[in-house]
Amino acid sequence: MAENSFAKKFIPKIKDFFRELPKKNSFKVFVSVLISILIGLLVGLLILLISNPSTAFRAFGGILAGSFGDPKSVSVGLGDLLYFATPILLTGLSVGFAFKTGLFNIGASGQFMVGQFAALMLAFYGTGFGRFQWVVAVLGGILAGALWGFIPGFFKAVFNVNEVITSIMFNYIGMFLTNMLIKSNRVIFNETRHETRNIAAQAFLPKLGLDKIFPGSRADIGFLLAVLAAIVIYIVLNKTKFGFELKGVGYNRHASRYAGINEKKAIILSMAIAGALAGMGGALKMLAPGVHYIGNTLSAEEVLAAEGFNGIPVALLGLSNPIGIIFSALFITHLQRGGFYVQSVIMIEIIDIIIGVIIYFSAFSLAIRTFFAKIVQKRKMEAELEAENPEPKGGKA
Amino acid sequence: METFYFIFQQALYFSIPLLIVALGGMFSEKSGVVNIALEGIMVIGAFCGIFFINVMQKIGAFASTPQLLFVLALLVGGLAGMLYASLLAFASVNMKADQTIGGTALNLLSVALVVFIARTMNNVKQIYFDQQVFTIKEFPVLSKIPVIGDMFFKNAYLSTYLGIIILLVAIVVLKKTRFGLRLSACGEHPHAAQSLGVNVYRMRWAGVLISGALGGIGGVSYIIPTTVSFGGTVSGYGFLALAVMIFGQWKPLRIFFSAIFFGFFSAIAFAYFKIDFLNNLNILHKGDFFKMVPYIATMIILAFTSKKSRAPKAEGIPFDPGAR
Amino acid sequence: MDYIIEMLHITKEFPGVKANDDVTLQLKKGEIHALLGENGAGKSTLMSILFGLYQPDAGEIRVRGEKVKIKDPNDANDLGIGMVHQHFKLVENFTVLDNILLGHEPIKGLFIDREKAREKILSLSSTYKLHVDPDALIEDISVGMQQRVEILKMLYRDNEILIFDEPTAVLTPQEIDELMEIMKNLVKEGKSIIFISHKLNEIMKVSDRCTVLRRGKLIGTVETAKTSIPELSRMMVGRDIQFKVDKKPAQPGEVVLEVENLTVVSPYSQKNVVNDVSFKVRKGEIVCLAGIEGNGQSEIIYAISGMMKAASGRIVLNGEDITHRNIRYRNDHGISHVPEDRQKYGLILDYNLAYNLALKQYHLPRFQKLGFLKKDAIKAYAEQLIGQYDIRAGQGGATIARSMSGGNQQKAIIAREIDKGSDLLVAVQVTRGLDVGAIEYIHSQIVKERDKGKAVLLVSLEIDEVLSLSDRILVMYEGRIVAELDPEKTDEHELGLYMTGGKEGTNNG
Repeated sequence: MAENSFAKKFIPKIKDFFRELPKKNSFKVFVSVLISILIGLLVGLLILLISNPSTAFRAFGGILAGSFGDPKSVSVGLGDLLYFATPILLTGLSVGFAFKTGLFNIGASGQFMVGQFAALMLAFYGTGFGRFQWVVAVLGGILAGALWGFIPGFFKAVFNVNEVITSIMFNYIGMFLTNMLIKSNRVIFNETRHETRNIAAQAFLPKLGLDKIFPGSRADIGFLLAVLAAIVIYIVLNKTKFGFELKGVGYNRHASRYAGINEKKAIILSMAIAGALAGMGGALKMLAPGVHYIGNTLSAEEVLAAEGFNGIPVALLGLSNPIGIIFSALFITHLQRGGFYVQSVIMIEIIDIIIGVIIYFSAFSLAIRTFFAKIVQKRKMEAELEAENPEPKGGKA
Repeated sequence: METFYFIFQQALYFSIPLLIVALGGMFSEKSGVVNIALEGIMVIGAFCGIFFINVMQKIGAFASTPQLLFVLALLVGGLAGMLYASLLAFASVNMKADQTIGGTALNLLSVALVVFIARTMNNVKQIYFDQQVFTIKEFPVLSKIPVIGDMFFKNAYLSTYLGIIILLVAIVVLKKTRFGLRLSACGEHPHAAQSLGVNVYRMRWAGVLISGALGGIGGVSYIIPTTVSFGGTVSGYGFLALAVMIFGQWKPLRIFFSAIFFGFFSAIAFAYFKIDFLNNLNILHKGDFFKMVPYIATMIILAFTSKKSRAPKAEGIPFDPGAR
Repeated sequence: MDYIIEMLHITKEFPGVKANDDVTLQLKKGEIHALLGENGAGKSTLMSILFGLYQPDAGEIRVRGEKVKIKDPNDANDLGIGMVHQHFKLVENFTVLDNILLGHEPIKGLFIDREKAREKILSLSSTYKLHVDPDALIEDISVGMQQRVEILKMLYRDNEILIFDEPTAVLTPQEIDELMEIMKNLVKEGKSIIFISHKLNEIMKVSDRCTVLRRGKLIGTVETAKTSIPELSRMMVGRDIQFKVDKKPAQPGEVVLEVENLTVVSPYSQKNVVNDVSFKVRKGEIVCLAGIEGNGQSEIIYAISGMMKAASGRIVLNGEDITHRNIRYRNDHGISHVPEDRQKYGLILDYNLAYNLALKQYHLPRFQKLGFLKKDAIKAYAEQLIGQYDIRAGQGGATIARSMSGGNQQKAIIAREIDKGSDLLVAVQVTRGLDVGAIEYIHSQIVKERDKGKAVLLVSLEIDEVLSLSDRILVMYEGRIVAELDPEKTDEHELGLYMTGGKEGTNNG
């Protein structure tokens, strides 16, 4: 019967998939990441129990429920989830993309901040662009971020300065510079509140109907743009010659050079793209219309943008894979929203602690997986050596 | 001249912690473990040390012997830093994890932990302490020495002298002791060391723990001279210390000079208004501008000195005894 | 029989392979005992067990008649066992003195007593005629001196049993003779030596007895005086080895590569590592740059391929001056390069075989369109090469390069470089670390290319390979070509003499 043959064809295939799955390296890494998440959550629960036992379980439950626990409604929670996930999705892409090229972009924070600043400036001064003002502002953020990413790439490629140090330095330079620039602009700056004025509605990101799907929430097209960026990055990395070269440089810079790849160009472009992504995140955050269509402001506090650093766990948990990053950004935001909702009961730092623990454990569970993978490969290699040499090739008596 | 002495004294407040933490980073990296968690270690050390002082001052202990309190606080900070760094040691040495990721995790965790605990105990994130008691306004004889007396022996803190002692000890340990030789070997060619009977794992643990202790001490000695409260951050000093270490090419004496250099720039950021020439510069919000200067200066110097930069050869590579 | 070391029925397994399978080796006091086998036969594993780097799964070790457990190099050292590894374990930016005393430092109070160590080292140095400069940095001294430092490390620790792992791989014929003398001296002073090698003539020259391993199993132990090279080779490989490469005389055509007054400066020492070198390579001939490692051969190749800059001079390919062209241009315009370190330069190990086979051509219209890779074309090409060159890879083109064996990795690189059809084929140490079968195959491929009319430039450190494979030999010493020799008319002693600067010949490549 037709049904039977359909089942006959696909069920064994499905069975095979699940039997082979545990052996696949990527599966093992995924499992180890899940385990790190569990450990992180457990540690969080432990700390909650120690600091305030009576409220611990309620708080923990709130964290797990995450965006579903919005006091107003679930759809508001979900809409807000998309909104809050957007910046770290982009910084996660930024960090993850750089990882693929063998670089550690710890400068996502500075890139994010200059992206915010550029978007802000274009929001105030770019009124001549009319309906496209937000587009121009986003592009401005992207360019500013690209510049801020270009710099560490350039220093590394040309002067051999470690990109971690340069990025860290430019995080601070970016912060002080933007603070200085907004404070000295009397028009924009609101002295009493130590922040800029609100940006005007004409620069807002459009909502594109998301306010109908998630009424009352902050959702806007920012999330869609971020997902679009993720897809573009995925295509670049896996399907293009450029992605081939970038990953090659990340895996083995010597062999890449030997193959004719311009290693310096690859490093610089990679950091610039990473910066552009983080800058885009900053711009999208800046231009958000929010719930009540009151524009955002940029504060002159001496604090590095947290979104930049939160991109690191997003990238790690997403295994530096653009699609994985979409999910890890949503997951981490989910936890953060949960923490926010139960704030009265616990302190928001708990979430950062949980995330810190998750990264800590994922760092070495990843290493264990790689370690075992290497042994498995060594084993296959030796077995092949035996199999292939029963009679050496070209033997002559 | 008064201004110069003032700036110099300020510079010391910045240079000495940089020196101590950079030396800590040096020990870790010379053994082969990249330690970018210095920032987080400083935060933990500073928190524990300052909290200790806060509690002791509240209950009136050590009121007559403030310097002893200072020393104890440094010890507390150092111990806390060491314990915190053991997390990095475990991940990097035993678990062979990526050292940069591990370090980043510890940096993120440190701030969250510290603010969490502070707010749990005090409801606010800032921990205050009485700074004045620690200032050594004058030394009986030494501060009368012309020039030197004003530079080094007035408005000083115990941590300054401790920093110099740590520097001297570091120089001697590295050049003249078994431990120093073996430690350096582990960061250059761990397999060679292993084949000669050196326990690479133990040496790397030692390197990381030392960086923890010095990082913690550095954290406390950063806070005490420069502010009256600890708010959960050391403003990137741990990272600046890394730059100092690299600029000093992992050599104690060079690290010392680099630290002095950067200390000066940092001091200027805080005290620029005392220098007429700087004060009159036509830049709005000079405070922010001068705060950027140490970082920009670092970048320029690194650009010129990194071509021949030679890090310990095996740093960052987890030690795998089985590999041949 | 007074055995000082007995390794009895040793078995050691790694995941998937039995490195040592019931192997017994007995070392007499005062003898030089050779351990012979191909690459992968298990020799290094066996000695690593003796030195405490691995633990055997089965079997026992006896030292001076007593059963022992050697958990780590410290235990081995306490029993008087020392080892000179194939890849020296020397800290490059330490001095000779510090390298020798590391781990065994004499103490005066809290500090190292370097003077005491220096005395002992200088006395050992003169007793055993092992000349070293205690204050020199390892990175500055010659390979021969580095080896003497390794030997002094053992003597400094009063090791009685000395293990040498492939000691002659990096030495000239003269230095090899010196080493043989040193070993005989050591034995005269009461030491016992095991030396691992796959070089049959050395084993015949200096050893008393020889144990042969093949694929982890013990084939037998023979007295050197009573055996012969053909017998040893038969034991080692299981059949007769062809030592001479089968080739017709060369018929060189027009000039393909011309190197004129090439000078290359070292980025580390600012010295000229290649000093005013000129030579030509023609179609249909195999030219070999011979010499001790570190005399400029590698740098000439890097300059030709574009990986290093020429400080002065010209490189002309098929009449075109390519001295200032980038690497890709040279790859695309007639140079194929099999690099000296296959894992560092030749392959991106984390990529699959197909990507690696397309590594030099992925940017061409054949394999990409508008920036997007043509994955099907890449896959098809990989399958073609795999079939043609018999590359063994578990999952075909999808196999991750890292999981392939050394021999197959090399085959893949050779396949890629030959199939490009370049006019000039450059191959550096192309058979390093491979077993006999793979070596024979690769030699035949090279001769085939030469007969097709390609110009072949080789760099080799194996004297046998140099003499049997090349049509013309250019000997390098200290960055210059010091001789041009005809392999039919010279021998290893003359070659060795030029390689050490003992003779200066003509320089007209």
